[in-house]
Amino acid sequence: MSNKAEVIVIGGGVIGTSVAYYAAKAGKRVVLLDRGDIAAGTSGACDGFIIMQSKNPGPHLDLAMQSAALYRTLAAELDYDIEYMPCGGMIVAESEKQAQLLQGLIAKQKQAGLQVELLPIAQARQSEPLLAADLWGAAYCANDAQVNPIRLAQGFAQAARRLGAQIRPGVEVQALLEENGRVCGVKTGQGELRADYVVNATGVWAPTLLSPFGIELPIKPRRGQILVTEPLPPMLNHVLLCACYLIAKYHPEELDPTDRQHRLGVGLAVEQTAHGSLLIGSTREFAGFDRKTTLAGIEAVAQHARRILPALAKVNIIRTFAGLRPHTPDGLPILGPVEGLPGLIMAAGHEGDGIALAPITGQKVAEYLK
Amino acid sequence: MATGQTFDIVVVGAGPAGLAAAIEAAKRGARTLVVDENNKPGGQLFKQIHKFFGSHEHRAGVRGYDIGRQLLDEAAKCGVEVWLDAVVHGLFNQRLAVLREGRQVTVEAGRIILATGASENAVAFPGSTLPGVMGAGAIQTMINVHRVLPGNRFVMLGSGNVGLIVCYQLMQAGAEVLAVVEAMPSIGGYGVHAAKIRRAGVPILVGTTISRVVGQGKVESVVLATLGPDGKIDPQSERTLAADTVGLAVGLTPLTELAWMAGCEFFFSPKLGGHLPLHDDNMLTSLPYLYVAGDITGVEEASTAMEEGRLAGIAAAESLGLLAAAAAAADKAAVRQRIDVLRSGPFGEGRRLAKAEILQQQALRSRQGGQSWKA
Repeated sequence: MSNKAEVIVIGGGVIGTSVAYYAAKAGKRVVLLDRGDIAAGTSGACDGFIIMQSKNPGPHLDLAMQSAALYRTLAAELDYDIEYMPCGGMIVAESEKQAQLLQGLIAKQKQAGLQVELLPIAQARQSEPLLAADLWGAAYCANDAQVNPIRLAQGFAQAARRLGAQIRPGVEVQALLEENGRVCGVKTGQGELRADYVVNATGVWAPTLLSPFGIELPIKPRRGQILVTEPLPPMLNHVLLCACYLIAKYHPEELDPTDRQHRLGVGLAVEQTAHGSLLIGSTREFAGFDRKTTLAGIEAVAQHARRILPALAKVNIIRTFAGLRPHTPDGLPILGPVEGLPGLIMAAGHEGDGIALAPITGQKVAEYLK
Repeated sequence: MATGQTFDIVVVGAGPAGLAAAIEAAKRGARTLVVDENNKPGGQLFKQIHKFFGSHEHRAGVRGYDIGRQLLDEAAKCGVEVWLDAVVHGLFNQRLAVLREGRQVTVEAGRIILATGASENAVAFPGSTLPGVMGAGAIQTMINVHRVLPGNRFVMLGSGNVGLIVCYQLMQAGAEVLAVVEAMPSIGGYGVHAAKIRRAGVPILVGTTISRVVGQGKVESVVLATLGPDGKIDPQSERTLAADTVGLAVGLTPLTELAWMAGCEFFFSPKLGGHLPLHDDNMLTSLPYLYVAGDITGVEEASTAMEEGRLAGIAAAESLGLLAAAAAAADKAAVRQRIDVLRSGPFGEGRRLAKAEILQQQALRSRQGGQSWKA
């Protein structure tokens, strides 16, 4: 292989492929390396939510809204069917207490320019009839959407390749190369490769490459277990979350450790994919790098799904899987240069927002590659 | 969730491999459970109305369903517990999650033997989704188990043993077989099976394929075409047969989902049907509690499946300390010798080499310090 590039991107998930695409589009000579394959890690083991109303107002929501705008034309731009569906989303509240929590968030989101409405259950069921009648209601946002993450990563990778990027799956980066205090390339199982910039887009695995430099990235793997149903006729009109998801994400202190659902961080996340299967998630657990599903996790997710959508009780589950979300303490991704280590650009730590933020992450990170 | 029962050995799949494994394990004192998702045990054996080949020890001359009955009787005598209509939907280390007659239960196992078999391959061509196009195994189940003839005029795609045997059984059941179609330049299955259907006047068309199936809502005719040297259809050669049913006998793929879920190491063997769990000569996978036997370890036939089952059953019992090493070695050597016989001859050679490759891979990865192979 040619041993000099302008930009090396490590990681072939939605973040790495997005960075590779936008960098190549900006005219850079890009090499993307992944030890496995495109979307073989977290991006191949998650749902496809592009959800605005789960984001905290501030930089988080701003980035998400910019990303949502990029998504509207992305399939045409990449010339690839990424199964983007601007279906709108609902966050379900089981109780008055949860509705109040949503109300507080919605007030701030409205100020930031995101239109979210809180609908009582009778009204919510008019557009989402399978919701249980005894729920409190749901927050509705027309800007929420969904996409197929595997196709998204493929679309970015193939478009990047057409712009001259080299996409090299099966190449494992063992270490960053440093010269005169600057990161100048990578050491791989197939030799060294040099570049002006190295982008670390390896998600939950990102800290490993930095620890030799005495930098401890605060990214921890958080496991999410997801159930897949048999393909079904269209039955959901929106992507659906429940307020438990937001509580697990933003107010973990509110969780009851004696309750299995709370202990496993289960919050509902349901979408119907383009070919009809439902993806039903998810747990949010710290279990190291273990990517296996657990019986307790699967049962808790299934029970909660039945609580919110009773019609799912008779649906066949054909498969389960788990993925590792890159969790950060403040819920925000780590983007941009690293202090004390010039030449290295971070693009990792998106936890459950990687899909929503992938396009804007690629675009913003490409701006650092001057 | 019902509280879990505990067994020394749990076998998944009550076909020839699974039953044979359970019998050997139970005979050596293991408390053994066999779980099968079907409501009848025996796997494919009860569809097999033809006589088996081989030597006396391999029950040559005995029909498949009689072998099935013998295995069931023997399993009952040894005290093997059998759960039917019970789907193992998950392996969580040594705990199995089972939907037993619609209820969720868990079972704890000292050792697990996966004998899940294989599933039929499908092939796509224009019209292949029309009602009347079905797997050869499905046809065999309908005629031999349920006694229903799914059509009258058949075309069979694939001339391996499954395609040839099912054609003969279709004729015994009163159907007409218009042709066996084989894309390869020669017949895939045993000469003895091919000769039987040729004597009955059925053409076996090699170098030929189905170019499309035509019909309004169901199969009404089948268009055949000759394959050129480039492997492409020669449009000049197309001719139409007035068939109402098409059988697909285009190979089998090991049913490996539970092994993937358990997380053992895999190996790709095109000759044996695809991705399959890497295993050693005791049928042990890379996980110290997980054994495999039968078609899940590579598609062969029922006699070999039973022998692999016996090997796994003995080895699993040995690993639980239920028999002395010397006794185990002698028992296993006898089984291995019989397996070698089954894999000899011109038809066994390819399988023997493919199996040897699996053991070589296992040894190699074991030396490189793979997951947890026993020394």
